[in-house]
Amino acid sequence: MISSMESFWKFGKHIGISIVLLLLFSGTALAAEDSTMGMSPEVFFVVFLLVTIVIGIIAVLGGVGGGVVFTPLMMGFTPFDSYIIRATGLFVAMAGALVAARPFLRRGLANVRILFFAAVPYSIFAIIGALLAGYVQETMGEIGELYVKLTLGILVIGIALLILFGGKKVEYPDVKNVDSFTERMALAMSYWEESLGKVVDYKVTKAPLGILLFCGVGLISGMFGLGAGWAMVPVFNLVMLAPLKVAAACSKVLIGIGDTAAVWPYIMGGGIFPLFAVPSMIGLIIGTMIGAKIMIRVKAGFVRYIIIAVMFGSGIKLIQTGLSGLGWLR
Amino acid sequence: MSEEKPKPPLAGIIYGEFAYWIVLIGMVIAIIGAGMYFSGAGYVDKQCALDNFWDGSDAATVWKNCANTETPHGHWYINKLSYGDGIAMAGIALSCLAAVLGMWGAFIGMVREKGGIYIAFSLVVALVLTASALGLVKIH
Repeated sequence: MISSMESFWKFGKHIGISIVLLLLFSGTALAAEDSTMGMSPEVFFVVFLLVTIVIGIIAVLGGVGGGVVFTPLMMGFTPFDSYIIRATGLFVAMAGALVAARPFLRRGLANVRILFFAAVPYSIFAIIGALLAGYVQETMGEIGELYVKLTLGILVIGIALLILFGGKKVEYPDVKNVDSFTERMALAMSYWEESLGKVVDYKVTKAPLGILLFCGVGLISGMFGLGAGWAMVPVFNLVMLAPLKVAAACSKVLIGIGDTAAVWPYIMGGGIFPLFAVPSMIGLIIGTMIGAKIMIRVKAGFVRYIIIAVMFGSGIKLIQTGLSGLGWLR
Repeated sequence: MSEEKPKPPLAGIIYGEFAYWIVLIGMVIAIIGAGMYFSGAGYVDKQCALDNFWDGSDAATVWKNCANTETPHGHWYINKLSYGDGIAMAGIALSCLAAVLGMWGAFIGMVREKGGIYIAFSLVVALVLTASALGLVKIH
């Protein structure tokens, strides 16, 4: 009892600090639309390090990747250029996913056949998305920026709704029929399930639909600088009917591959600045590690609602900025 | 369900190891570079860049105002390794190369394991990532 009280207190403390920092950051950022607040680069580094640590902690506890919180939050509540934010968002999502991929591959939990199969459409369309982002930036200027914010706002609210009402994921989906294309692809594999103490042999299905969906997910990921775990896990688990653990593992590894493809056009476009990218990268990775440790000790179900609230808040702010800038909202 | 632990595919293990270690090395270099950037001058003036970020300036404007150059469409950091931000950017770029090198390793693993159609898939992904990293796909 005492131990659970202590855990609850510690957890509450972490969340309290997180929320205060986020509020401080939001306030600072809004105020800073008119000035730099006299912030030196060193202070900026420390503030962004702390903010991204908080984002990393909350993201892990809410069961999403840091990238999907980072990009909308930064675009909604800082005056920074969206191309620079999206480039950095893509980079931090990629770096986190690459670090996390190793254990999934060593344990055989991530199915390499599904991975390489899905990586072809995902990486090609992620590059197309990144090129599209560069094209909009170069040809449409301020108007393009506003359209990107408006679209991302709608998308982020859609993702929040997906997290809220997205249906229950299935741990071991029952695959009754495998279409002939998927059968020929021989995507089925097996892995050692520690909790059951035995090997799980599984099949997948609907690979052609999977390809189509990965094209769309790649395009969105590359265009808006988001990690795409929110979309990939449902595609693997609910459409292709892979076991939930396999879906989560494949999603994490695939983000690393696809975002690598998409991040290079942003680097070539001069969109990544170490001053912004380095603290964001360090912060999100430290935050993810702290979040993973906290998650083992506490039930953090309600943090999911914090994530949803943050995403709704960012989405509404982005839509408002987009509509006001375009003169569609007074 | 069978009872023997299945052996993880070699291609996956190679990819995972390459990606993990290269991205970590890249991060360490980026952090060292950032430390140097804060303790000395950089190729991109840091106070100017920060002011431009807060003003909402786009990338091209930041480059023009703070490095006195057009947007460098390429691997600008290679010639600027005497600056802290050049080293930090090289670390970031190395991190971004992790999956590219990992996919080539996975391709070799697939060939060694006689992975059939997946040899072709891994080759295509490796080529796509390499083309992207070399800047062969760009709009400029």
